[in-house]
Amino acid sequence: MTGRALLMLAAGFTLWAAAFVALYAMLSVGCRFGWDEVVLFGNVSLQRAQLVAIFLVAVAAGAALALALRRRAGWSFLWRAAYGAALAALAASVLSFAAVFGLSACV
Amino acid sequence: MSAIRLHRALAEVWGTPPGIGRLSAVNHTVLGKRFIVAAFVFFAIGGLLAMLIRVQLATSQTAFVGPELYGQIFTMHGTVMMFLFAIPMFEGLAMYLLPKMLGARDLAFPRLSAYGFWCYVFGGSILIAALLAGVAPNGGWFMYTPLSSSAYTPGINADVWLLGITFVEISALSAAVEIIVSVLKVRAPGMSLARMPILAWYLLITAFMMLFGFPPLILGSILLELERAFDLPFFDPLRGGDPLLWQHLFWLFGHPEVYIIFLPAAGAVSTMIPTFARHELVGYRAVVVAVVAVAFLSFGLWVHHMFTVGIPHLALAFFSAASGLVAVPTAVQIFAWIATLAQGGRPRLSVPMLHLGGFLFVFVIGGLTGVMVAMVPFNWQAHDTHFVVAHLHYVLVGGFVFPMMAAAHYWLPHFTGRVAEHTLAVPAFWLIFAGFNATFFPMHLTGLLGMPRRVDSYPAEAGWDGLNLFSSVGGFVMAAGFALFVVDLVVQVRFGKGFRRNPWGARTLEWATPTPPPPYAFASLPRIGDRADRLDPDRLGAELAAGRGYLGHVRNGWMETLGVDMASGRPGEVIVLPRQTYRPLISGVLTGLFVLALLFKLYWLSLPLLALAVASLFAWTHGIGTRDDLEPLPIGHGEALPVHWQTARPPSWWAMVFAIAADVTMFASLLFGALFLWLVAPGWPPSAATGAALPPALLAALALGASAVLGRRALAVLKGGASPVLSLAACAAAQAGAVLLFWILAAQVPAPTAHAHHATVFVILAYAGARAAFGALLALYGLWRWRDGYLSARRSLDLRIGRLWHDYAAVAGLVALAATVLLAWLVRAAA
Repeated sequence: MTGRALLMLAAGFTLWAAAFVALYAMLSVGCRFGWDEVVLFGNVSLQRAQLVAIFLVAVAAGAALALALRRRAGWSFLWRAAYGAALAALAASVLSFAAVFGLSACV
Repeated sequence: MSAIRLHRALAEVWGTPPGIGRLSAVNHTVLGKRFIVAAFVFFAIGGLLAMLIRVQLATSQTAFVGPELYGQIFTMHGTVMMFLFAIPMFEGLAMYLLPKMLGARDLAFPRLSAYGFWCYVFGGSILIAALLAGVAPNGGWFMYTPLSSSAYTPGINADVWLLGITFVEISALSAAVEIIVSVLKVRAPGMSLARMPILAWYLLITAFMMLFGFPPLILGSILLELERAFDLPFFDPLRGGDPLLWQHLFWLFGHPEVYIIFLPAAGAVSTMIPTFARHELVGYRAVVVAVVAVAFLSFGLWVHHMFTVGIPHLALAFFSAASGLVAVPTAVQIFAWIATLAQGGRPRLSVPMLHLGGFLFVFVIGGLTGVMVAMVPFNWQAHDTHFVVAHLHYVLVGGFVFPMMAAAHYWLPHFTGRVAEHTLAVPAFWLIFAGFNATFFPMHLTGLLGMPRRVDSYPAEAGWDGLNLFSSVGGFVMAAGFALFVVDLVVQVRFGKGFRRNPWGARTLEWATPTPPPPYAFASLPRIGDRADRLDPDRLGAELAAGRGYLGHVRNGWMETLGVDMASGRPGEVIVLPRQTYRPLISGVLTGLFVLALLFKLYWLSLPLLALAVASLFAWTHGIGTRDDLEPLPIGHGEALPVHWQTARPPSWWAMVFAIAADVTMFASLLFGALFLWLVAPGWPPSAATGAALPPALLAALALGASAVLGRRALAVLKGGASPVLSLAACAAAQAGAVLLFWILAAQVPAPTAHAHHATVFVILAYAGARAAFGALLALYGLWRWRDGYLSARRSLDLRIGRLWHDYAAVAGLVALAATVLLAWLVRAAA
């Protein structure tokens, strides 16, 4: 049981790292193929839309993980630490990646 | 058995032989000390080089050395301090302390410790010999291409760095596996993860960082060496390569490296401060979470070393935010230390505390300037100036050297059994502290005034002379302080006062050993019922020395310690450790000869030497294990446990899991490189796409799948009580077939030197082939172990370890084949 908790200690930041890799990779792919020139609606480009989508998925996944860990019965040291790490990772995701809403993508 | 007889019997089994026998040492106390001493020797060499730098830069008119020699001096200063001092110093401290803090008699893999030590010393010696011969690396400690490519560095200078450092990194990776498995598996009964000493948490997380941080550097070094030796153009923009790929691979390692250096030192701080504050660490759990956060965030910062290379602003924002964020968990630790000091009342202001004060002052300044350079606009102004030199020295000297000096004063009584008078330690500290700040604080100013890094001279009209002269004088004051520090340590070792036990009143387990510690650390092992920084070493030490703990005996001349369940600390097995042997030294020498053959381009000689080195590593297991199944062994207190090779997941099984994790990281870095070049590099697409040809690729996939199935089949047959010979032989044949097919596929790649696309496909196929080759060796090794009688239904560990690799080799091979097909498709689509 606590073996899983040890893995969970890294789960939140693993999600953060996965989101980081996905955003950085897809940003590069989008710029390479000119997705910032493809307008979907209004002034929202394909590039902006896909990056915002990745951001939202990452935040949603991080929040779901934190909630799942919070509900976890038996507040042992490792589970509480895992919950704390998941919260920290969620905050890190919002702060690290929030620029997808505003900054120019391929300049 | 009386306590005295027990100690004599243990000493006979665990002791390192005298004279030439010292070269057979595998003991953690001996090797830990050797690592520390060797690291300090390299620190002295690096320091000497630093003084030469300061002489050269003292004034604008100094003509001390020319630009070529100056290039070698500053490159070697950085290289020595990062690779030959900081990492090995923490490895040595971890090696010495961990078993004692965890209540074990040794680390999980003593011979791996010894092999790592020899790789470190031989690799470091190659670098220093090159310096003395005037052919040392001269392109900066980060070896940027194209400067380090053969067009601009045609001699062997860059090869010395690439091969020498990769050789040394064997030591770092082996230490990472050693530390992870030891912390997770080799602890005292009852020491759950929640009860571990905080230093063990720090070292565990740092070791994971090394496991995932070093492979990109090793891969980058291999690729650059392949470019230099065989003209495979991974970094040549004229042929589809990109110098930025090197920067990515280097800094993927390089930035976590800063925290790999800092975190063990922070762990030492978190251990020492509670002792002097007379209060347990405040926020133990928050500190663990903070260290996890630092470990991950540090991997998201690497591009902040590349802010000026032309990356989209949005990407810069990701890395800038992460660079600023990492200050938060670092601050959590600092506040935990301050709170601990505040909670404990008036702290004891001993010499280690003096150094800890110096650490806090210097490191906080380094952290603040770190936040400054994390901001993109400021970074663009300060990039490659002396401001960055000042920042990195405040971080690294503040975050590592000051804590290590505190640790030296704190733990030296444990090493020697003597406490110091400290008459010299106080002026030594103040000289170092004042000298350091005098040296590096002015560099913030010269940097802001525009003085670039890595220049051997500057114009008089720039107006930097005064500040530079001040820095140089400060450097010599600091050097005098370090000299006094060494004299103080020598005086303590030679003339210090003896003590009974635990001179600082610490509450961690290492102080429960006799001091200086015997090779077996504990005459018997404790059961831990509380957090490991709330113990009473004085009471425990007396009990354990009397043999009243676990394993208070000698059996069959075995070196025994206990293995536990990772999370709960419930005892699970008796780990029988290998005895003293010259085999790690032999393997280290053969590995060194292999590296030298590559360095001098004797490629015909390198292959047989590699084969010999690998064979010597397999030979380590000769004589390990038993030819009969064993019943559970009594461990004391009426309990009995199975021997480790008869349990499901002993340390060596986990070592293979983590070694595979490191290899996966390296393979993932290679695939990242291939995709990066396709996406970003100039000169794409190439004139023709290349991928794995279908018939041999399908056959290779079949061979890999068969080898995995046969590896599993061999294990199942063995567990059923039958002979696994046929299955193992078929597994070896399937792996050998896969090697042959990968060879054919690689040979079909047209002109790997023509374009980076061909070169990456070639290397991906070679990579998969090498994994299959190792799988064939493991299958043959299983046959050897069966023939020697070491395998049975209950003794199947060798085949279970082999199965892990066969499965991995199959998956890696299939991914490699798919990757080459995908790359060919991407090239065709872009054409």
